[in-house]
Amino acid sequence: MKFKKYISVIVLIFVTSFTFSQVKFEAKVSKKKLGINERLRVDFEMNQDGDNFNPPNFSGFAVIGGPNQSVSNSWINGVRSYKKTYSYFLSPKKRGNFTIDQATIVVDGETYKTTPIKIAVTAAIDKPKDPNDPDYIASETIHLVAEVSKSNPYLNEAITVVYKLYVSPNTGVTNWNEIDSPRYNDFWSQTIDTKGQKVENGTYDGEDYRFLVLRKAVLYPQKTGKLNIEPLSLDIAVQVPTNRRDIFGGRMMTTVHKTVSAGNKSINVKALPEAGKPIDFTGAVGDFSFNVTTSKTALNASESLQAKVEVRGKGNLKLFNLPKIALPSSLEVYEPEHAENVRTNLSGMQGSISDTYTVVPQYKGKYPIPKISFSYFDLKTKTYKRLSSNEIVIDVLEGPLNNAIETGEETSTGNAKQRVVLNNDQFAFIKTKTSLASVKQNHFFKTPIFWSALLLPFLVIPLAIVIRKKKATRDADVFGNRMRKADKLAKKYLSNAKKSLGKKEAFYIALEKALHNYLKAKLQIETSDLSKDKIQVLLTEKGVDADAVKDFNSILESCELARYTPITIVTMQEDYNKAAQTISLIDKQAR
Amino acid sequence: MKNIIYILAFLFSTVVIAQNSALFEKGNTLYNEGEYAEAIDAYSNILETENHSAEVYFNLANAHYKLNNIAPSIYYYEKALQLEPNDADIKNNLSFAKNMTVDAIDMLPETGFSKLIKKITYAFTFDGWAKLAIAFVFLFVILFLTYYFSYSTVKKRLAFIASNGSLLLMVVSLILAFNKYGLDKNDKPAIVFSQESKVKSEPNKRSEESFRLHEGTKVQVLDTVKNWKKIKLSDGKTGWISADDIKAL
Repeated sequence: MKFKKYISVIVLIFVTSFTFSQVKFEAKVSKKKLGINERLRVDFEMNQDGDNFNPPNFSGFAVIGGPNQSVSNSWINGVRSYKKTYSYFLSPKKRGNFTIDQATIVVDGETYKTTPIKIAVTAAIDKPKDPNDPDYIASETIHLVAEVSKSNPYLNEAITVVYKLYVSPNTGVTNWNEIDSPRYNDFWSQTIDTKGQKVENGTYDGEDYRFLVLRKAVLYPQKTGKLNIEPLSLDIAVQVPTNRRDIFGGRMMTTVHKTVSAGNKSINVKALPEAGKPIDFTGAVGDFSFNVTTSKTALNASESLQAKVEVRGKGNLKLFNLPKIALPSSLEVYEPEHAENVRTNLSGMQGSISDTYTVVPQYKGKYPIPKISFSYFDLKTKTYKRLSSNEIVIDVLEGPLNNAIETGEETSTGNAKQRVVLNNDQFAFIKTKTSLASVKQNHFFKTPIFWSALLLPFLVIPLAIVIRKKKATRDADVFGNRMRKADKLAKKYLSNAKKSLGKKEAFYIALEKALHNYLKAKLQIETSDLSKDKIQVLLTEKGVDADAVKDFNSILESCELARYTPITIVTMQEDYNKAAQTISLIDKQAR
Repeated sequence: MKNIIYILAFLFSTVVIAQNSALFEKGNTLYNEGEYAEAIDAYSNILETENHSAEVYFNLANAHYKLNNIAPSIYYYEKALQLEPNDADIKNNLSFAKNMTVDAIDMLPETGFSKLIKKITYAFTFDGWAKLAIAFVFLFVILFLTYYFSYSTVKKRLAFIASNGSLLLMVVSLILAFNKYGLDKNDKPAIVFSQESKVKSEPNKRSEESFRLHEGTKVQVLDTVKNWKKIKLSDGKTGWISADDIKAL
């Protein structure tokens, strides 16, 4: 019995090894990510018939179709292939991530399981896509992409746009033609030839694709701000695989016409910085070298030479003007010949541009070609740079002399004396001295100071008139004048006495001293011979009234008396007044 | 504290003055070597410190002239002339710069009397006329008082006549000061900076084109509406020009 069993097993192994080597049981889904309003198809495939197929419970999904069973048997070159499929159509119940669990089957007593599959259910999509619709397949598998090298370039900085057509490996493109070519408004543009491009392999969105470069363009923005790059639109004939198969089992392809366009790209063009912009800047952006050369530096008059102004390098070579060369007016200069030797590739314009001037000197002499400068914006350092040429001196060896022609003398007398003539029509040289003043000015006109200086002097006139009138009236008042004079004299001599008014001793000493002082001043006498009699005689000689003399003496007496008698302040005041009056009276009468 | 501020202010101002004169010298050297663009930079730096002089403007204009920048050179010559109206060099070089301009504009002829008045008015600035008026006031007051206080008939007579004369002169110079002030207030010259500018009949883009002006032409600004300026040429033509095309002096 046991022997029999072994034999049968061996036979079985022999038989099965002829047909297949390994049992395969796997689950396949039509997509791993779907909208909630889409359907999902799950196939469980096995390459050997089994029993007890046990589907998973499809949690999160509703089974809307299936299980559909299909069996296919084929012999190719004597090799049999067998396939049995259980298909289910599922509809998701809600959004989220779900797992399709393992299905089991028993083949020859062995239990096989599929691997679980993760499915993501997203929000409803606009139009549930029929995965078999050729248009849908074409739109999923053909992509036209415009790649812009830089989205915020400077004005006149080169950018490139590359249009690539991505085609998925299981579709094919038979033909394409442009419907709408982009016009690069506000750009200087040059398309680069892409004929003979080979199909390359690349990835798009992480998947393997083939791509073809359709078009390359170099653009130089000519305007600042937001600029639009118009899309490129193509009509493409796409071959899409269908579900039908030809009699050989190959998939039938259908051709679909599809319009694809690369999206509108907008780039933001920055203006060149204003700070430090040189005055001779003409818009050159890039990296340049600059030189001025002449074909010869020594020649004879009426021979010609070429002066070449050349800018070489990388940048917007065709888009700016070369600086003009300023030659002395006695050289005959012809209009320059402009030459461009510029190649354009993906990195921009490269090469050189030049202006060639033909110069014919007329007279003997040395002629300097002045330095000229050329400024450009360097993109690497983001600054302006200025290049200056070297000064070149052209030496004209033989020829007529310039001044000889002007003065009408013969050319042979090269060292003839020349008259110095002042040329009035000359461009004046700069001034070498300056005194700077603030830009803000203060005006004098219409200020309060101006008005007061204008009007106040008028007030001086009435003031002067009033003062004069007052003076006249004072001069006319005789009595008042006398009073004022007496006061003045009293003030002069009696000031000490007045100060000590009230103190008896001091007052009378001061008063006596004052009277003596007055007499000394008036009569020119010494104090020593100052007796009462003498005073009387002298005063009478001077023509003073007898009463006044008497008064004077009486005051002197009272001064002496006062030292020994008690005297009230009232008497002192009286004596003071009397002294003042007497002095003024004597003063008036004395001659 | 206050003193320190004054000292600092003084030191700072002297530093600025020293820098500016160094810049001026540098500009002159560069100009003489023919490096006009660099010279312009040096002169412009002086102007950025809010200091100016007729000479700085003149040299700046010369450098622009050498670089064939028509509008800037005329602009700075006019600036220099505003500060030094009677400088022969400036007038000479301005005429050189004007040779580069395209527009030929006639001067509107003026009749004899108004020409005379204008000539007299432009002899001084309004500040000058104001100061002159004040001088005449003082003269008048002194002479009048001399007349009033002097006793001899001859002296009195002379002083009276002289004082009345100076009063009259004072009034005249005051009137001229007001006249000049008014003229200066209305005098808003500008220079056309754009290569070619269309002058419209109305301050908008759709209106008809009156005439065209080219770089370097001097115009008088009469009025402003938004971004448009009403201008008058020296031959009396008026029109509206975009404010970006001109630069006021």
